[in-house]
Amino acid sequence: MADEQYALEINDLTVAYHQQPVLWDVDLRVPSGALMAIVGPNGAGKSTLIKAALGLIPRAAGDVRFFGAPLKRARARIGYVPQRNSVDWDFPTTALDVVTMGLYGKLGWLRRPDRSARQAALAALDQVGMAALAERPISQLSGGQQQRVFLARALAQGADLYFMDEPFAAVDAVTERAIVSLLHALRDQGKTVIVVHHDLQTVREYFDWVTLLNVEVIASGTVESAFTEANIARTYGGRLGALPLALNSSHEADAYVA
Amino acid sequence: MLPEDRRVWRQIALIGLLMALGAPLSMALGVRYDYTLTNVALGGALLGVLCGMTGSFAVLRSQSLIGDTLSHAALPGVVIAFLLFGREAVALLLGAALTGGLGVLLVNWLVGTTRLKPDGAMSIVLVSFFAVGVALLSYIQGRVGASQAGLDKFIFGQAAAIIERDVAILGAACLLIGALLYAFWKAFKLLTFDPDFARAVGLPVARLNALLSGALVVVIVLGLQLAGAILMVGLLIAPAVAARQWTRRLEQMIVLASLFGAFSGGAGAVLSALERGLPTGPLMIVVACAVVLVSILFAPQRGMLWRLLRQRAAEEAS
Amino acid sequence: MSGIERLLIEFLLNFFTAEQLNAFFGDPRAVALLIGALVAVATALCGVFLVLRKLAMTVDAISHSVLFGIVAAFLAMLALGQTPDLSAPLLLIGAAGAGVGTVVLTELIARSRLVKSDAALGLVFPFLFALAVILVTRYVPNVHLDMDSVLVGEIGVAWANANSHCFARCEPVTITADDPRAEMARRCLNCAAEGISPRSPRAVFETYCSNCGTFSAAEAWQRRLIAAPPELVFVPRALVPLALIALLNALFVLLFYKELKLASFDPDLAAAFGFRPALLSYALLILVSLTAVAAFDAVGAVLVVAFFVIPAAAAYLLTHRLWQMFLIAPILSVSAAISGYEAARALDISISAAMVTALFALFLLIWLLAPRQGLLSALIRRRRQRLLFAEQLLLGHLYNHQHTPEAESESAQVTLHEHLSWTSGKTARCLARLRAKRLVTFEAGQVRLTERGEALVRAFREGLMAG
Repeated sequence: MADEQYALEINDLTVAYHQQPVLWDVDLRVPSGALMAIVGPNGAGKSTLIKAALGLIPRAAGDVRFFGAPLKRARARIGYVPQRNSVDWDFPTTALDVVTMGLYGKLGWLRRPDRSARQAALAALDQVGMAALAERPISQLSGGQQQRVFLARALAQGADLYFMDEPFAAVDAVTERAIVSLLHALRDQGKTVIVVHHDLQTVREYFDWVTLLNVEVIASGTVESAFTEANIARTYGGRLGALPLALNSSHEADAYVA
Repeated sequence: MLPEDRRVWRQIALIGLLMALGAPLSMALGVRYDYTLTNVALGGALLGVLCGMTGSFAVLRSQSLIGDTLSHAALPGVVIAFLLFGREAVALLLGAALTGGLGVLLVNWLVGTTRLKPDGAMSIVLVSFFAVGVALLSYIQGRVGASQAGLDKFIFGQAAAIIERDVAILGAACLLIGALLYAFWKAFKLLTFDPDFARAVGLPVARLNALLSGALVVVIVLGLQLAGAILMVGLLIAPAVAARQWTRRLEQMIVLASLFGAFSGGAGAVLSALERGLPTGPLMIVVACAVVLVSILFAPQRGMLWRLLRQRAAEEAS
Repeated sequence: MSGIERLLIEFLLNFFTAEQLNAFFGDPRAVALLIGALVAVATALCGVFLVLRKLAMTVDAISHSVLFGIVAAFLAMLALGQTPDLSAPLLLIGAAGAGVGTVVLTELIARSRLVKSDAALGLVFPFLFALAVILVTRYVPNVHLDMDSVLVGEIGVAWANANSHCFARCEPVTITADDPRAEMARRCLNCAAEGISPRSPRAVFETYCSNCGTFSAAEAWQRRLIAAPPELVFVPRALVPLALIALLNALFVLLFYKELKLASFDPDLAAAFGFRPALLSYALLILVSLTAVAAFDAVGAVLVVAFFVIPAAAAYLLTHRLWQMFLIAPILSVSAAISGYEAARALDISISAAMVTALFALFLLIWLLAPRQGLLSALIRRRRQRLLFAEQLLLGHLYNHQHTPEAESESAQVTLHEHLSWTSGKTARCLARLRAKRLVTFEAGQVRLTERGEALVRAFREGLMAG
């Protein structure tokens, strides 16, 4: 393993829709074991960054490496949690079955999931507190439960690096707590987790590392060093009217916790 | 296997059995299975199976109406093949598949390069290809002196003209597409449920999409003779929609959709034999829609009736 | 309808003679073009909103289900002992009902959340169409309902299906036995009964009048009972309904322009303003159904969809302004109808199919050449942008690394392409362009931004962040 130091290494990545840059010459290094939030205003290219890294959308320039290897060779070590509303939840399948899909990449073309795959999927569901609902059709799950199923599917992938696209979007308080404790558990196991996040107030509480993104990387590093008022102001420009308020309340939250 | 799944499988087996009983029942009621009816009924049933298998994916991928575009877009291909090779069945099928497939590609291209939404692109391609076909057909009729009947055979199908060889082709297609689904089962399922994740896992999404679209083209082209261009889309969608109501597993849905399709095709053929001049294709659609109605109303758990009962119970409890 | 037809002719007779009118309405070409133009305008006006509201496939469905409405009403009229005809009110009601019914039924099924709305649409219209076909084959075996012409229309013979209106010498002629024009004949009274020949002496004869009775002026002229012909004007039957529906559609669009516009782009806001978007959209669908019925005779159930959708879609590629779409769509549609007719006559092919093919050709042409959204302009623009984009990318890369420790390697002239994952050729060409524009300079194997280059990058980045 050449460069295990960085779970993700992005060099000069540029992505454009209709030649309009969405990401501009992004350089990003995420050390192994980091629990990182990517924050930035709407349209800053947060989801695009993840999708381009995973090869879901074409990139105009740049190079992405995972644990020092290109995507093709690192695929088995990467887990992905897409946005919840990207799929049709009336699909005829159960929670357990969706989680089992996380194992398809490892199974190859013709092999069917067997008992051990089922066990692994059940264990993943258990980790997100959904074991009791394993056989529930996914159409009967609440939004938060659906989100947890998606997380469990990524867990079942058994990856070392996880990408999560807005896992906290429109979920209930129980799910939010479950996700946070899961994120911390993953960090404690030495996994790297990169989360697209939209709530500035919880960044300090949930994450250790942060990347501030607005078309290009404004700042990236530990929350202590990078999540400063100046950097946030640069990221959100004049567009966030309530910015000082958001910061204040997050300080208050810190004070309260302390 | 879980008790819930076992229950649904038992239901599916029971439904299959009941539907199969239709054959002896119809004989008891005096339907005579002569050469023509046997072929039409068998062909209809096989076509129904094909529709159930491919239609399920089309419905789940929100591509229900692409079948309508495809079946209409096949007309110019049929006419050109007729012009070049005469009544050679294989040539007609290939011609239909060619322009049908071309139509689907054009829809994708239009959606990709313009502001038009999928419905607009589908509608434009559907009616334009159809018009080109009609224009070509009228050109031939003016020159070769072919009979005026060509167009309505394409539009309404011509079930009575089906011969053993057509049935054999339909059977072979069933095996082929069944094998395709079996081989790539996991990939198709993941692709249909969550294409982004499928790509992230490293599946060749574009090629798998092409395979599924290709299967759809084959089914629709083979169905034109029996059901006709206009009604084909109904036969494609109805069994899948009906089957969706009974189950929460894709494999069960596909099996049940194939059963429903087979029943609709077979029963439509038999019903049309009851009286002279009753059209086969439309009867297949009517049977299929009846199955949908029954499923939407009475399917266990998902059906409207059960939903109503549950609501009533909840109200009484509170 | 008949009354309106008469009014129209009376109006026209102020300007033309009856002979001129008959010559015009008896000319297949003139009538086909007139009818084609009316179909084109009536449909294009509805079409704009249909395309904008993503109802293009719904129109396809409606045009098929309308057949069911027509067949059902047709049978109802037969049962009531009336003679069905395409402009009978019951038929129009049936057609409009079936059209709106399709949409209502689809929404109802989709609202149960058991079936997706596209699948619901794909169930409803084949079902209604299948019912229509079964009804026709089962209950209307004697009436010749030619499916071919129902589906593709018969615009070429529209002139021949005409109503006649009489304007002078219209008095019916009554012939009695004492009239000089009466023709008297003899017939044998007992020949048939007794089985004898009229030559037989036993045969008994009576004299009777063979042409007595009352005749309309036209019949009287045919039988040469009157010396001068009545003044008749023939009007193609399809003309007045089509003209009326075109007028109705134009009025609808003019009167409810702003409401329709808002309801198409933002139904919620329209509802908040009290515009009743649901009501408007049902009114639109009723008009679509009626237009489809009026156009059936001319272009048929399948091909009429093309007139609704294609001109509006082509206009959509040409302009972003709604009112311009309303001008462009009818113009495209009418010109396709005219050129399609001429092509069809020249090649001796189906007229309506040729019109739609012309429409399609026009659409493809516009798709290729449209100034902003066309394939060609997109190609040129993309090429130009790609070059510009590469330049900006390179400048940005240099800017990001210029005062950092790794600047040495990141901006070395020979290894620059590796950092950008470009080919060395592309990088060299891009650098050459930038140097020609005096945005970079080369110093000892290092690429450096000039002041102008740096200013450009800064301006560009500010633009990005603000956008």
